[in-house]
Amino acid sequence: MAKELVEYIAQNLVNDPSQVHLKEKRTPSSIILELRVAKSDMGRVIGKQGRVANAIRSLLRVVSTKDDVRIILEID
Amino acid sequence: MNPNEPLEFTGETVDAAVTAGLAKLGLQHSDLLTVEILEEPARGIFGIGARPAKVRLILRPQMPPPPQPQPTPPPKPKAENKAQPRPPKQQNEPKPSPKSGQKPPQQNSKKGQDFDFEDDDEFVIADDGNYEADTPGEDGEVGKEVLSELLRLMGIEHHITVKRAQANRDGENPPYLLDITGPDMSLLIGRRGETLSSLQYVTRLITSRKLQRRANIIVDAGAYKSKRSERLQQLAVRMADQAVETKRTVQLEPMPANERRIIHMTLRNRPDVETRSHGEGEARKVTIVPVLNK
Repeated sequence: MAKELVEYIAQNLVNDPSQVHLKEKRTPSSIILELRVAKSDMGRVIGKQGRVANAIRSLLRVVSTKDDVRIILEID
Repeated sequence: MNPNEPLEFTGETVDAAVTAGLAKLGLQHSDLLTVEILEEPARGIFGIGARPAKVRLILRPQMPPPPQPQPTPPPKPKAENKAQPRPPKQQNEPKPSPKSGQKPPQQNSKKGQDFDFEDDDEFVIADDGNYEADTPGEDGEVGKEVLSELLRLMGIEHHITVKRAQANRDGENPPYLLDITGPDMSLLIGRRGETLSSLQYVTRLITSRKLQRRANIIVDAGAYKSKRSERLQQLAVRMADQAVETKRTVQLEPMPANERRIIHMTLRNRPDVETRSHGEGEARKVTIVPVLNK
């Protein structure tokens, strides 16, 4: 769920959706999502002062609360 | 649940109220929350004047602490937790970001339009009666699609109503209001409406890219914003009257940008008061200063 959510948002914010790659690492209590996008699209998924990234994290917190699992989003 | 008070719960005792709140929010532990005791329970005399305990649960902005072996369950919040400080705003942007101002020229192609939203809400939402049920236009339709997809992926059961707001500032194109209803609204609204702001921000960004122009939409949940807006307008007038009467500056509690804006807008036509914002970040608040006639 969390992965698809980030994928949908990233795909729809970047200019080059083919370069959106999202890796998911799971441990019993947490999910780590590693998002990679084209270099020129970095600003679009991070935003000024990280505003976009923080908004995505805020939405992930809803999933996190519902599913009782820790979700970490890394962008690089 | 009254969406106006999304995170307030009552119970016979403080503990019962917290437990009820946790259940409602679908949480297991109280360690995700700050508990504010709004009212201690009172027994009353022969049942007269008895009232339940009332607590406000504030979702912490942070992720839960890293999983560590926890031999004991987290302590139940006690009444003394009242003064527990709010956790500082999360500074979770470690990655350097390329400035969005520096756009390579090829991104000015038709696809590469970027839209920035300076404020959470450019509009003061007037009371419910001011919305016309209207055939949704493009913004409303595309916005609804995007919002619905986001909510589906978040696992939030929802229904979205699209309404067109009436113009409340001259010459402006009234926004489409997308109001979400469903069982998880308090979770979706979040502390001080922060989650809802994020949801609106992401919805607007994606919708704007799809439309190739700035999407004129507002996202609300359980009419939280319109009700809150109404209450803030009443509060503004009341506090302004008080400031004038006592000839003293009145300071309001800290509010997010969109709510401060409602206070400023409500009072901007009053010659007897001035409004200013003071403080930084989470602590930023509005003060109402009486204008003294000399």
